Amino acid sequence: MNVKINEDWLAVIIAFGLLVLAVAGVITPKWMIF
Amino acid sequence: MTTAKVPAKTQSSNVAGFIIGLALVVVLAFVARWLKILVYGVSLPLGIPGKALEYPLWAALVGLIVNWILKTTNVYDFVKPGFRTELFLKIGLVLLGTGISFKVIVTAAAGAIIQALIMVTAVYFFSWWLGGKFGLPDTLRAVMSTAVSICGVSAAIAAAGSVLAKKEEITYITALVIITALPLMVIAPLLAGAMGLSEPVAGAWFGGNVDTTAAVVGAGTIYGKTAQQIASIVKQTQNALIGVVAFLLALYFSVVVEGKKERPSAGVIWQRFPKFVLGFIATSLLFTFGLIAKDPGAAIAALKDWAFCLAFVCMGLELSAGQFKKMGWNPIIVYLIVTIFNTLLALIVSYLIFGWLFPAKL
Repeated sequence: MNVKINEDWLAVIIAFGLLVLAVAGVITPKWMIF
Repeated sequence: MTTAKVPAKTQSSNVAGFIIGLALVVVLAFVARWLKILVYGVSLPLGIPGKALEYPLWAALVGLIVNWILKTTNVYDFVKPGFRTELFLKIGLVLLGTGISFKVIVTAAAGAIIQALIMVTAVYFFSWWLGGKFGLPDTLRAVMSTAVSICGVSAAIAAAGSVLAKKEEITYITALVIITALPLMVIAPLLAGAMGLSEPVAGAWFGGNVDTTAAVVGAGTIYGKTAQQIASIVKQTQNALIGVVAFLLALYFSVVVEGKKERPSAGVIWQRFPKFVLGFIATSLLFTFGLIAKDPGAAIAALKDWAFCLAFVCMGLELSAGQFKKMGWNPIIVYLIVTIFNTLLALIVSYLIFGWLFPAKL
C-alpha cells in the first residue's frame, strides 16, 4: 500500500519520536513544565 | 537555465523563511509561558484570578501582536512558512492520548458520535439554507457550512477541494473561522463557569461549538483537565466525519450542480480521514495496556503543552483579515448567525448527551 507522508502522518511520527525520548528519560521536564 | 535558477532561489528563501519563522514561533511560545507564570499567582482587576488566564490565551495574544508587527514591517510573507498551527496541534493531540484511558475514549466516543451526527447535520443544513437566503454562491456556502459544522480550517480546505471553490473563498472562510474562534476560546469557558457546567459537559460543548480544533483544545485547557480531554475526543470524532462530508459534497457538485455522469470515488473518505486520530488512539492504547509507564517525570504532559502552545501562537500569527473587504458583509452575517445557532444547539445537545445520556466519568 502506498502511504503518502502528509502532515497528519508527520505529526504522528514526530509525536512518537518525542514519546520515545520522554520514556527513555532523555527529555527532562524541569525547565519546560507549564 | 533561467527557469531552473529561480525556483532554486525561491526554495532556499523558503527554507530560510521556514527556519526563521519556526524559531520565532518557539521564542513566542517561551514568552507566552513566561507571561502565564508571571500572572499565575496574581489577582487581576475585577477579581479575576491570574491562574484563570491559561497559556492558550497568552499564546494567541502574543501571536496576534507579532502578526501585526510582521505585517506592518512587510516581513510576514517571508517567515510565514514556519507557522504550522495544524502540525503542532496534531502532535499535541497524539501526545494527549498518552493520558487518556482507551475506555474513556470508547465511553466518550459513544456520546461524541451521536453529538457529532446531530451537530454536523443540523448546522450544515442550517448554514447551507441561510447562505442561500443571503444569496451566497454555492461554492462559498459549501465551504462555510463544512467549516462551521465540522472543524474550521481543515474542513474548509477539504470541502473546497470537493467543490472546486476559489482560493479567496478558502482564505476568507479561514479568516472568519479564526476571528470567531479566538474570542470563543475565552468566552465559552467563562460562560460554562457562569452556568456551572460540569467539566465533561463543558468539554463536549466546546467540542461541538468552537469551530477550530486548536481553539477547542484551548477552551478545554482553560476550563480544566477533564474538559480538555472530553473536548478533544468530541472534536476528533467530529473531524473524522470530514471524509464523509467531502465525498458527499463532491458527489452533489459533480452530479447535481455540474450534471456530470461520472461519480467521485468513495476512496476520498479515507483520503480525507484525519490520520493523526489513529495516532491519538494508538497512544491511548499504549497507555491503557501499560506499555507506557505513567508519564515519567511529567515529560510527556510538558511536551503536549508545548505542542499546543506553539499551535496557539501560530493561530494568532495566521489570522488574516484582508479578505473581508472584498466579499462584503453578507457572508459575515450568515457566519455569525450560524455560529450562534451552533453554540445554542451544542449546549442543549452536549447537556443531554454528556450530562444525562452518557455521563463521562474520568
